[in-house]
Amino acid sequence: MTSLGTFIEIFLQALIAGVLIGAIYGLMCVGLGIIFGVMRVINFAQGEFLMLGMYFTFYLVVGFNMLWFLGPIVGPYTGALLAGPALFAVAYVLHRFLISRVTGISVAGTEGEGHYVQLILTLGVALVLQNGGLILFGSTPQSVRTPLSARAWEIPLLYDANASLFLNKARAVAGVVSVVVAAALYWLINRSRLGKTLRAAADNASAAIYMGIDVDRAYRIAFGIGIGITAIAGGLVATYNPFQPYIGLDFVIIMYAGVVLGGMGSILGAFWGGMTIGLVQQLSTLVLPTQLQNAAIFVVFLLIVMVRPQGLFGRATERV
Amino acid sequence: MQVRRKLIAPLLVIAIVAIAWISLGMVVTNSYYQLMLTLVPIWAVMGLSWNLLSGYTGLISFGHAAFFGLGAYTVTIALVKFDITPWLGIPLGMIVGAVAGIVIGYPTFRLRGVYFALAMLAYPMALLYVFVWLGYQEVPLPMKREEPALYMQFSDYRVYIALAVGLLVVSLLISLAVERSRFGMSLTAIKQNEPAAEAAGIDTLAWKMRAIMLSGAVAAAAGGLYAVVLLVVTPDSVFGVLTSAQALTIALVGGIGILWGPLIGAAILIPLSETLQAHLGDVIPGIQGVVYGIAIILVVLLAPEGVFWRVRDQFQRRWATRAVQATPLAPHIVTAAPAPATPRKPILALSGISKSFGGLRAVTNVSFEIGDSEIVGIIGPNGAGKTTLFNLLNGFLQADSGKVVFAGRELIGLKPNRICRLGVGRTFQVARAFPRLSVLNNVVVGAYATTTNDADAFGAASAALTQVGLFRRADAIASQLTNKELRLMELARALAGRPRLLLMDEPLAGLASQEIEDMLAVIRSLAARGMTIVIIEHTMRAMVRLAERFVVLDHGAILAIGQPSEITNNGSVIEAYLGKKWAAIRARS
Amino acid sequence: MLAVESLSVTYGGLTALYEISLVVGSGQFVSIVGPNGAGKTTLFKAISGTLRPSGGSIRFEDRDLFAIAPSQRAHLGIAHVPEGRQVFGSMTVMENLEMGAYPQTGRRDWGRNLDRIFGLFPILAERRGQAAGTLSGGEQQMLAIGRGIASSPRLLMLDEPSMGLAPVVADLIFERIVELHRDGLAILLVEQRVAEAVQSCDFGYVLETGRVVLEGTHQALLADDRIKSFYLGM
Repeated sequence: MTSLGTFIEIFLQALIAGVLIGAIYGLMCVGLGIIFGVMRVINFAQGEFLMLGMYFTFYLVVGFNMLWFLGPIVGPYTGALLAGPALFAVAYVLHRFLISRVTGISVAGTEGEGHYVQLILTLGVALVLQNGGLILFGSTPQSVRTPLSARAWEIPLLYDANASLFLNKARAVAGVVSVVVAAALYWLINRSRLGKTLRAAADNASAAIYMGIDVDRAYRIAFGIGIGITAIAGGLVATYNPFQPYIGLDFVIIMYAGVVLGGMGSILGAFWGGMTIGLVQQLSTLVLPTQLQNAAIFVVFLLIVMVRPQGLFGRATERV
Repeated sequence: MQVRRKLIAPLLVIAIVAIAWISLGMVVTNSYYQLMLTLVPIWAVMGLSWNLLSGYTGLISFGHAAFFGLGAYTVTIALVKFDITPWLGIPLGMIVGAVAGIVIGYPTFRLRGVYFALAMLAYPMALLYVFVWLGYQEVPLPMKREEPALYMQFSDYRVYIALAVGLLVVSLLISLAVERSRFGMSLTAIKQNEPAAEAAGIDTLAWKMRAIMLSGAVAAAAGGLYAVVLLVVTPDSVFGVLTSAQALTIALVGGIGILWGPLIGAAILIPLSETLQAHLGDVIPGIQGVVYGIAIILVVLLAPEGVFWRVRDQFQRRWATRAVQATPLAPHIVTAAPAPATPRKPILALSGISKSFGGLRAVTNVSFEIGDSEIVGIIGPNGAGKTTLFNLLNGFLQADSGKVVFAGRELIGLKPNRICRLGVGRTFQVARAFPRLSVLNNVVVGAYATTTNDADAFGAASAALTQVGLFRRADAIASQLTNKELRLMELARALAGRPRLLLMDEPLAGLASQEIEDMLAVIRSLAARGMTIVIIEHTMRAMVRLAERFVVLDHGAILAIGQPSEITNNGSVIEAYLGKKWAAIRARS
Repeated sequence: MLAVESLSVTYGGLTALYEISLVVGSGQFVSIVGPNGAGKTTLFKAISGTLRPSGGSIRFEDRDLFAIAPSQRAHLGIAHVPEGRQVFGSMTVMENLEMGAYPQTGRRDWGRNLDRIFGLFPILAERRGQAAGTLSGGEQQMLAIGRGIASSPRLLMLDEPSMGLAPVVADLIFERIVELHRDGLAILLVEQRVAEAVQSCDFGYVLETGRVVLEGTHQALLADDRIKSFYLGM
């Protein structure tokens, strides 16, 4: 095989991997996008909820084996989807008793809009969840294995009989499910009455109150949805990636980079932002050693924040 | 001198703490407690370094681990690769830390709030990956058998305790020097209200850069000593999130923005978490993180600025003197001069000033002149562009076109602090005071731009207070002032910079009628002494008696300029306020 | 219908409103005018619940409004058109109107109200799919009023609808407001521009530095010379 052929094969492999991972990152970013991009709430613990989604799926499917009746393939993915409502409930309660003290009407309009306090508070929550997770779940890496985890589809490349692309089945299915969930969320936010109510509350809280909308409740629901979506993404990641309680940290920067890249206030933007980050991460392995692929993401994040803080889809009036 | 007197107390406290600590170190023999006595000061230093940047300026850094780690690795690599002793390695690390501060600070200071915090988070994480890639997974410091003392290795652990206390004392002294000088005051002003600080002549970027340099150097020193004490460095232990979180939490819990805070925070948190880790660490790994997390949550909800302030505020409330409803003051006034017959030399000239935001024309082709020591009122219906005009004059906004000439200098394109130093002062609608400081300390910030040493600055501040009639309240704590006194204090802060032109934004809003009279008297006395005053106001009844001329703006353009009696009878002005066809409707009915 | 009695509002140590009393009768058009800083918007916010009063009472159809959360007041039949329009900029015109129809009464009369809104403001029908943030000031004001009507209110409150609008556009807005009143809607209008506000109202109040300094029917107010001095100081 010619070196060009090899290069194309490696490139396409990275590209495919990037798209698949990008879809899952996109879903994660959508979750954060609802909270950070739309509600303007800083949630430093978003990565920890991703982690909790992973562990929820793990315990549901593997630990307690409660979905045995769905079989070894459908079971895990259903488990991942169920992580959504479960973490929604957790987030709803967390918001009610903790987060709402530092967000919403009471701080809207104050200096910095309460962001400093949100940062610190959610940092505390993150530390508790991370290390609480360590205590509860132990530090041994876990994973939710399915028959798909170790198999791949082979797509032969036409120009050479020996060249082909490998699509890890688990990743591919996870990617597809991510897109489906993201699409469902998009429909919910843009077409349903609940979605419009949430958008109105996020757009202009005082006007929403004038309309008769209970803004506090809207914020709580939005927060819950944001966390739930990220938890589902976590459950999906769990099907092909081993995880331990500290894994949330790896993803926090990815999520924020994706949301900022995509533009604040845009859910669609958050998805594309996550997709882009996934592509950057995978394509960077073509030129950088693998250990530095995450460093590449940080560099990208820093560049975005400094050069184009409104992101690809955001409005230019966003404050820096 | 007010400032120097107060240094004795904290110096004494530092000395006592140092001596007590070392004495404790001398008697303790249990190696575990010895380690604790070493770590507490090191982490307190880390907290102090965080305070130097984030505590004083309010820019929350989640990435101080970057400096800590760079300091640790500088010492380590210097020793391992180049056989350089840590006695040199630590100062070297401090230089690396300071340079890192500049490199990180310059681009990152353009960001605000959460973006700043996230960017700061990214730096140590990136460094972590880089160092792992470079192969420095775990680097032990080599034992030096010959001449261990030369390489900062001692068999007697108590020396390490002394070293740690030494570093702590140095850091405390640095923090004290910063706090009690205009460095600290400028940072506090920036934290309180950055635009107002700029308008008062403070070069905010320069001070922030100095702060991060110093902060980086101190954090690197802590990291360097940490490496020496622990004898092994891993990327995660020095660049990890927990390190940054510890720095932040220690300062946050103990008290933000005050040198005692990190000391208190470290003294509480380190023993607590280390003890828990030692006793329960095997059974409940991660207990340290949980403790820190809960500590953060509790502090944020119950005592957002830390233990120190919470306790001190409680005491101050009990011992404070209640603010007496101010009896009519006797400001240093001269009876108002009558409107002069001869025209005055123009000191401020605007020509063709325009500004648009997107498609919205906020200010359109505004031109007028203001004479030396005139009192001019800028009036007009709501949303007419008056505050935008002030922001253009001040340098907060750049005009799209036109010129502004002040005393022969072109102002367009200059930064606000530069404009202030040329002699333009500004008061803002919402007065932001430093609630815990005295009135005098609140005002002195305004004098930094025009004075070089503290004695002159305090002198200018005292003079300004006298001018507004607030001198006898100079030592009162700002949080206890009445509304009118707060306004006067804000005015004094602007006056401390000895401006020739003063821009006042709604100084009379919300005041009761007697308070308005007092303000008017003060303003008139300033003009009588030669100051030019331009006021945006809506309280017309007072303004018609104060202003010599009015400039009326409507929809961003000049509607009329003239004396009060002309303006109030000007048909188009009446229409602008009362609505079109006002005269017509009245005539008809 | 709406009775405000001895209302006082203090915030930040300043007294913004001092013992204000006013009444809006059923189907009446009441205007509140006064110079800048008089407290008109503070009054509006106190009635809509965004500001906590420090004294007095507000009753709407004999219900104590203080006991009712701000987000519930829309469901009682009070519609607010706030200062500066405050449309949902990132949502379309249609979605904004849908949000206006959030209360039960709004959903019930949706079809009828929509026809009425588009009849009053045909430009909104043209731009129904456009993002509200891209509309001109006047169109946004029309949208804000449309949003208010969409809840089938019994009382429509407007805070300075003419602010920032070109005179021609402001005239049009006023005409439509008068039309709404003629159809039977009670109106509480807070305005800085005296002429239009006083001309069309049944009863008017003049505020200055937080107090009612003048009140009367529109004829009485128009004939009074003192209004000019309240605005211009002499």
